[in-house]
Amino acid sequence: MLVLNRGRLRLPIERLRCTVALVFLALSSLHAAPTLRALPEHLRSDAFGEIIGADRLAESTATSDLQLVTPRGAYASCHLVVGLRTGGAYTLTLNPIARGSGIETSLYREWLHYLPATNEYIPDALIPIKSPYQSRLPSPDNRIPAQTAQGFWLDIWVSTDTPPGNYTLTARLVSSGETVPLSIGLMVLKVEVPEEDAVVMDHNTYGTSWLADQYPHLAKKLGRRFFDSAEYFHLLHAYHRIFYEHRGIFHQLGYGHAGKVSPEFAPKLEGRGKDRHIVDWALYDRHYAPLLDGSAFRNMHRSARPIPYVYLPINPEWPASFENWGEPGYEREFVNVISAMEQHFREKGWVNTRFEMFFNHKKRYKGFSWDGDEARFPGDYGYFREYARLLHQAVPPNSPVQFVFRADVSWTMERQWHELAGVVNFWVCGGGMFSWYPDHLKELKERGDTVWTYGGTPAVTEPSSHISLEVLRAWIEGSQGFVRWLTTSPGLDPWFHFEGGTETLIYPGDRFSLAEPIPSIRLKLERNTLQDLAILNELTSRGTEAASLKAAAVQLFNGTTLQDWRFPRPALANTDPLEWSNADIDDAAQYSAKFGKELDAAAWSRVRTYIYEKASGERASAGR
Amino acid sequence: MRRLLCAIFIAATATFSAESPQAAELRRVAEVASVMLDGDVCLRIETPRSKDFANLKDPRDPWRYGDNYDVDGAAFNQTKKTLIRLSRLCQHACDVNLWMPVDSDLASVQIVIRNVHEISQFWKWGDMRQPMPSEMARVLKTATRVTVQHQPDIVSVLAPVFDSLNNVVGVAEVVGKTAPDPRGNVK
Repeated sequence: MLVLNRGRLRLPIERLRCTVALVFLALSSLHAAPTLRALPEHLRSDAFGEIIGADRLAESTATSDLQLVTPRGAYASCHLVVGLRTGGAYTLTLNPIARGSGIETSLYREWLHYLPATNEYIPDALIPIKSPYQSRLPSPDNRIPAQTAQGFWLDIWVSTDTPPGNYTLTARLVSSGETVPLSIGLMVLKVEVPEEDAVVMDHNTYGTSWLADQYPHLAKKLGRRFFDSAEYFHLLHAYHRIFYEHRGIFHQLGYGHAGKVSPEFAPKLEGRGKDRHIVDWALYDRHYAPLLDGSAFRNMHRSARPIPYVYLPINPEWPASFENWGEPGYEREFVNVISAMEQHFREKGWVNTRFEMFFNHKKRYKGFSWDGDEARFPGDYGYFREYARLLHQAVPPNSPVQFVFRADVSWTMERQWHELAGVVNFWVCGGGMFSWYPDHLKELKERGDTVWTYGGTPAVTEPSSHISLEVLRAWIEGSQGFVRWLTTSPGLDPWFHFEGGTETLIYPGDRFSLAEPIPSIRLKLERNTLQDLAILNELTSRGTEAASLKAAAVQLFNGTTLQDWRFPRPALANTDPLEWSNADIDDAAQYSAKFGKELDAAAWSRVRTYIYEKASGERASAGR
Repeated sequence: MRRLLCAIFIAATATFSAESPQAAELRRVAEVASVMLDGDVCLRIETPRSKDFANLKDPRDPWRYGDNYDVDGAAFNQTKKTLIRLSRLCQHACDVNLWMPVDSDLASVQIVIRNVHEISQFWKWGDMRQPMPSEMARVLKTATRVTVQHQPDIVSVLAPVFDSLNNVVGVAEVVGKTAPDPRGNVK
C-alpha cells in the first residue's frame, strides 16, 4: 500500500519532512484532550507519542490526513496512536467496513520494548486484539512510567474480489467522556499482487527445545506431555503459518551439531548395518504431513499449498551411524533408509516440496571432522561428493520426489561452485561476499542450480526501512531467496530488557495467553515489501526491462545506482581464502552510508509509490 | 574381536559397589576407554596449523581460531569411531567425549571430539579452549579415574587416555543423564 494525501493519486506524492509529523504530534500533545492519530507504517511511535529516533530521518506525508493506497490481494497497514496526556482509561473502536467488500481488518497492540542499551522504548511485538478494545494508560502490563501514548498496528486485508475504488475506515477513541473520531481513506487499485513472490523470504531456526522455554505456561500445563501433545504440534505448525501468512517460509533444522535428531523430525529407525530400517513414521507424519500436503495452511488469506522447502534429518550420524563411515555398512544404512523415505514421500504425493540434504555442522563444534556449513578447507569437499553419491544411490533417477543437496557457503563459495558442480545444486551464499562474484550467478542458474543468499535481521533500533533492504538486494542481485539465519530467538527478556531483536521477527504469545507466536512490526513491513516487489517483478514478465525497473527502484530507495549495490571483485578474492580473516572481508566489503545510517525510514514507501504508478500505468495501457 | 575382548574385560572387572547403577556402568565403560583409546592417534587430531591459530590474537577478529580450527580427518575419525563403540556399552544413552590438555602446565583444556547426545558436564557451548577443571587435572596427573556429578541429573566418569610411552595425554569423559532429553542440545 501507499500513503497519499487524501483524494489524490498524484505520483510522486507530495513529501513533507518528518518534522511536520513531529510538530503535529507535539502540538496535539499540548492539549489534555485525548488524541487519535494515524501514522504511515514506516513511522513508529514511542510511549510518549513521538516518532522513535531511528525513523525521524524519514520523509513523510502529513499524518493528520492519511490515505492508504493498495493493490488487491494484499494487506495495507498503518499505525493508530492513542494519546492521553494525563493517562487514564480509554476505549478504541474500529468500525468494520461494509460486508461483501472483501476488506477485513485486524488490529494489534504494539508492545513497547525497553532497550537498556539505548534507554528507549521501541514498539515491535504485535498483540492481536479485538475491537472495541478497552485499556488504560500507562498500559498495565507494559509498565512504562508516565506513558502517554499507545500505538496500534492496523492491517487491512483487501481481497482480489474487492472492487477498485475509494473506501473509508473509521475509528473512534473514547476517554474521559470525550469521543475522538478518525477516518482513514483507502484507495483500492485494480492492480493485484501475484501469488508468486519475486524472492523466497526464508526464516530459519534450529531445534525445538526452546519452545518449552518460550511457552512456560503451556509447558507447565502439559508437563511431560508437552512434546507429545496436540498443542505442541499445533505450535510447530503455527510457526510455519505465521511466516506463510506474511509471504515467507520457515525452516526448522531438526538435528544438532553432533547429529542428534529430534524425534518428530525423522522416522524412527531400528537395526544396524544391513538391518537398519524405518519402523515408525507416526511422529514424522504428524509433524510434516499437514505441511507437505498444504493442509496446515487452510483458511488463510493465501491459498493453501505445501511448503516449498524442508530440511531432511540427514547428517553424518543419521540415518547411518558414523561408526561405520567409509565402510559398506554406512552406505547400506544410508541408502536403505533414504530409499524408504523416497518411497514414503512418493506414496504420500509429497512431490511439491524440495527435500534438502543439508549439513550444518562445523569442525569447531567437535562433532565431526569436516565442515558441512560454510566449508573452508578444500579437503572437506570429498565428503560432499560422497554424500551426493549416496543420495544418488538412494533416490531413483525418475523419482517425482525432489531431493536437493543444499550447501551454505561463504569463504570458498567461488571454488565450491566450480568443484562441487553437479554435487551441490542448492546454494545459500553469504550476503556481501556473494556480490563479489556477480558473473557466476548466470552460470549457476543455467545449470539448474538454485541460488539464495543469507544474512541477519535489522534491529528495532534501525530505521524501519532497513527490513526491506535485503529483500530488495536479493531481487537486485538476482538471488532467488534470502535466509534470515535466526528468526525465533527474542532473547531472555524481550519485554523489559530487549537486546534489539536481530535474531527474531516473531515473539512467543505465551505472555498474552496465546499458544502460538505473534508477529512483529518488522515482519509486517517485510511482508508489505514482498507484496510490492511481487508486483514489480511481474512487470518484467510482461516485457518491461528488469534493469530499468531495478535502476528506478534503487534510485528511489536510497539514491543509488545498480553499480552501488555490488562490490568490484576485491584483490582479496584472488588470494587463498585460508589466509583471510573476517576483518579482511569486512575491509573488502564496505557499503556506503546510503545502505546504513543514511537509509531513511521512508525509503520503501518511495519505491512503493513508483511500483503502484508503474503497475497502474501498464494496466491502463494494456486495457486500451 | 575387539568388541569381544571388551565384553570379556567388562565382565571380568564388573564388581558390586555402592555407587549408582548408572555411575557403575559409566565407570566400567571408562575403564574400557582407557584401554581402547590410542593416545598417539589422539595427539595427532588437531593439525599443527590449527594450533598455530590458537595462540594468534587478532583484536579485529575474535573468531579467527574457530574459523581456522582443523583436524586430521583420519585421526579424528578413527578415534570418534572408537568413542561411538564405547558408548554402545552403555545400556542407556551416554556419550564418550575426548578432552586434550592444551599446554604442558595443564592450565587449559579443549574438547576434541563430542558425540551424538552432546552431553558434557564441562563443555561450554562454543568455547574453543577452557580453563582446566580440577577433576581433569587430577586424572592427567595421577592417571586415575574420577567420577563427577556437579549437576544432579548428569554423571561423568573421567578416564585417562594413554599414549605408547604410557603418558597420560588426554581424558575420556564418559557421561550419561539420569533422564535423557530426546530434544536437548538440538540447536
